[in-house]
Order: sequence, then C-alpha cells, then structure tokens
Amino acid sequence: MRTTRTVLQNFRNHVDTEVEWAPHMNVITGHNGAGKTNLIDAIHYLCMSRSFVASSDRYVVNQDAPYFTIKGHFEGNIRSSFDVTCSYSRGEGKKIFVNESPLDRLSDLIGMIPVVVLAPEDKKLTSEGPKERRSFIDSLISQISPAYLKDLLDFRKVRRQRNTLLQEYRGPREVIIEYLEPWNAQLIEYGSRIVAKRTEVLHQFQEYLAKQYELISGMQHKPHLEYQTFCEPSEDIQEIKARYVRALEKAQDNELEREITTVGPHRDEIVFYLDDFELRKFGSQGQHRLFALSLKLAQLFYFSEQLDDLPIFLLDDVFGDLDAQRTEVLLQALIEHAGQTFITSASPVPFDQFMNFDGEKNREYTVDKGMVTAL
Amino acid sequence: MQGTSEILEQAIEQLAKLPGTGRKSARRIALYLLKQQDENVMRLADALVNLKKSITRCSVCGVISDNDPCSICTNPKRDQSKICVVEESQDVFLIEKTNEFRGRYHVLGGVISPLDNIGPDDVRISELMQRINDEKQPIDEVILALNPDSEGEATAYYLNKLLKPFDEVEVTRIAYGIPMGSELEFIDEATLSRAFATRNTF
Repeated sequence: MRTTRTVLQNFRNHVDTEVEWAPHMNVITGHNGAGKTNLIDAIHYLCMSRSFVASSDRYVVNQDAPYFTIKGHFEGNIRSSFDVTCSYSRGEGKKIFVNESPLDRLSDLIGMIPVVVLAPEDKKLTSEGPKERRSFIDSLISQISPAYLKDLLDFRKVRRQRNTLLQEYRGPREVIIEYLEPWNAQLIEYGSRIVAKRTEVLHQFQEYLAKQYELISGMQHKPHLEYQTFCEPSEDIQEIKARYVRALEKAQDNELEREITTVGPHRDEIVFYLDDFELRKFGSQGQHRLFALSLKLAQLFYFSEQLDDLPIFLLDDVFGDLDAQRTEVLLQALIEHAGQTFITSASPVPFDQFMNFDGEKNREYTVDKGMVTAL
Repeated sequence: MQGTSEILEQAIEQLAKLPGTGRKSARRIALYLLKQQDENVMRLADALVNLKKSITRCSVCGVISDNDPCSICTNPKRDQSKICVVEESQDVFLIEKTNEFRGRYHVLGGVISPLDNIGPDDVRISELMQRINDEKQPIDEVILALNPDSEGEATAYYLNKLLKPFDEVEVTRIAYGIPMGSELEFIDEATLSRAFATRNTF
C-alpha cells in the first residue's frame, strides 16, 4: 500500500498544503514546531480515522479555522487506486469519504490502508499501564480482522450497558441478577471471541518480536511476551466461553458491590520479558526504547505476511534517540524490507549515506512554518 | 445578518427541529409554504394537529391507530395464535407491506437499555405476558422481530427466558443474513458469519 499525494487544509499549522510522495522512503526534516509530525499525522488520519498524537479532533483544527480537510490518494495491491477524504468541523463532527462516497461508520475505514506508527510516545507501551498495551494489540488485530474490531465495539457497548445497570439499579438482588442475564450472555459471546483472537495473534507475534529484537539489539537478551486474561488463555472460543461463565459467576458478589464489570478482556494485560526479568520493572531506558522499536517492526513484518500488501510505516522523530549503530541497522532493515516509509527528523541524521534521494524512489522534504518543499 | 420577519424565523426554528431537516431546508420549506394558497397550508396544519390529537394507540398490541382496538387486532381473518413482537409501530407497517405475516403484533415501544434508563418494566413486556396468559386466546408462536443490535439482542434474550416456561408457545426469531440483491463480496464479516451460523436446509 502506498500514498501518492496528501492535501491538507487547516490541519494544525498547514493552512493549505499539497505534497506528492515518493513510493519508498520519504524523509521530512525541519525545526521543532515546523509541522513535520502534522504531515504524517494527516496520513494516519486517512488510515485510522484519528490522530496518533492528539487525543481529540478539536485540537487538530488550525486555530483560526472552523474545520479541517485532508485528502489522500492511495494505491495498493488489493485495491489498485482510490481516494480517501477526512473532514471535520466543530458543528458536524468527523466524516470519512472513500472515492467521494461517505462511510456509514468511521470504523469501516480501519484495515483498508494498513499502517504502523513508531513515535516517541511508544516508550509508554512497555513502561506504563496495561491500557497502552491493550490498545497496541487492538490496533494490530483490528487492521487485519474487521470481525475483531466489531467484537471490540460490541463488547464495549454491552459493558457500558451492564455497568450502567450495576450502578443505577436500586432494587432487590434477585431482580438485578435477572436483569443482568441478557447482558452477561452478550458479554461472554463478544468477550470470548476477543480473548481467543488475542491468544492466537499474540502466539504468532512472539516469533516476529524475537526476530526484530535480535536484529535491533544485537541479541543480548531474548524477548518474550505473556498474555494474561481472567482465565487460562485459549484459541478455542467454546473453552473460553465456559471459563467466562464460571469466572462471572464467581465475581457476582464483588461486581454487585463494586457496581462495575470486573471480568473480561477489558482488564487484560500483556507482560513483556527480556530473558526472564520483567521489562516494566527492571528495564533500562535503552531497553524500553529498543523493545518498543522491535514491537513496531514486528508489527510491520507481521502485517506484511498476514496481508497481501506492505503497510505504510510512519516513524516520528525516532532517530534522534538512537546511536549510530542502531540507526544504521534500522535504516538498512527499512530500505531492504519496508514498503512506503515516512521519517520525520529534527536532528541531522546522515540519511543520504544510506539511500539515494533520486526523487523517483526516495525523496527528501523540508518543512518550515507549514510550508513543505521537496528537495 | 438582520432578519425582517420574526414570524418567519419562528416557523423556520420549528421546522428545523424535524428529523433530517437543517436550518437551510427549513428556510426553503417555510418560504415554499408562504407562496402556497391559503387552503393548502390550512390542510397541512389541520393534518398535523389531527395527527397529534386524534390518533391513538391500540390497547391490545400498542400500534399507532385511529381506532382502539386497531384494524389488525379486530380482523377475524388474522391468525390469533401467532404474535410478532416488534420495537416500534413503524416495524409493523414495514412487515405489513410484505404480506408475509398473517398473525397479530405486539409493539414494545422500545427495547431494554440501561444507558437510556429503560428497563424491562418500561417497555410493554407485562402486556405481552398478559396476552400469553389469556386462556381465551391460546398463543402457539411468538416471533421476535427485533433489531440485531445489543439492545435488541438483550430484549430478545430476556423475552425468550420469560416465555420458556410456556411449553405450548414456540419462540422463534427472524433470520439474519444477506440482503436480497446484494453480493457476497460487499457483505461485512459479522453478517456473513451470522448468516452461516444460522443457515437453513435448501
């Protein structure tokens, strides 16, 4: 998959920007605050319908404007040529158009253009709470399985209904237990499918992670991940369902008292290990950084094998933190194996030592105050 | 912008509240009405007032109707032993258009949704159970025709459980699957897998 052109209007500091992209490596340099990240965030919007930086669409609109629009042209192996438009206005919210026709649901976009992002915030993946890791695995699976994404959305909705019932109902215990039943049935249905899919994908992912960590770190330690859920993980949905029923029964008193759903994949954890020590507790800054990098590279290669296409790879300001040797290893890997790649960098990295910016296959850009110049 | 007619603005404001009508369309409709002959506009106004004042609900099935009980519930040719449960009156009108179902209806007037503060007591479930319990008119089938979203599913599940103790009542639900005239490649995976799971003998 690749994008040939992106047009931005009122998107952060890009009032009116149009860029033609090269099919392989695109390196974007410029000072801090020039608008480099905004460019690749716009591409992310067209792939995932949201920002990888900002928490809300509101913050993405240029401060003097009431709306933003992003348009992109894409070419892929499965769908050969199509346009995606994302528009947002404060009054009407966000809309996505594929070839000018609007999508009913924003989630219909996910998976159409597979994308992998590596950003400075990724060190949270290994150092902070389980939420970051759940959203990593959810983004990974959703892009290859629309059914998984639908299960996630359904599960979230059922859980909200169930939590509201637990919180709001003031009546006899036997009545609320009866009222909970229809929601339990759906919670178990969607939740079990999510757990089975996470088990399956994480099991396969293990080997990709080991390979990338070995490449990036020079094989000092062996990485490993452990999937933890409310029961023993399994790829068999029926098995999970039976375990879910039992776990929910066991948790009933606790749930009624705390008025919240306590059993389900929304509480899952993925624990990362290097050899046999837990990364989150004992890892050094450098190890966290290399692990996050390996996770994203592993995602890139996992997508490449699962899909009949190479994903778009966005690297936001990651080279400043890497030493010369890692920089070389990473760049070599990207040049040899990655599809279309976008790199932003504020620090002077000698990219031209590794690739030929011929303007055909690879291109270099500078950004200054929202103005983009192809070199 | 300076308006010259407060009356026009008020009409626009009211029209803009209608579903699918923004301020722009509301202005167009208001100006259109202004150009029409008096009696045409009066007929529209009367129809709207009548709609609200004279229409009632059938006390048996709950459908929107001019008479109580409604023409479906009083029709002797309809199969009294079959009840089709739907969420709203408009679902009755839709199913009636198909001419497939010759039984009677039961309109719940909503589905269970704690987020909207709607519990089983807030929809017409007890009225349905009264009809099932009525010995003068035995029911042998209840067809659940609710939306396939989580609230519809929860309501169907709840009803099925209530109806289970009645051995003589068969509970069925409408099939979910591929829309007519569409192609498999454009069907989302969830619908397709549901259609597979509930496939029937050819």
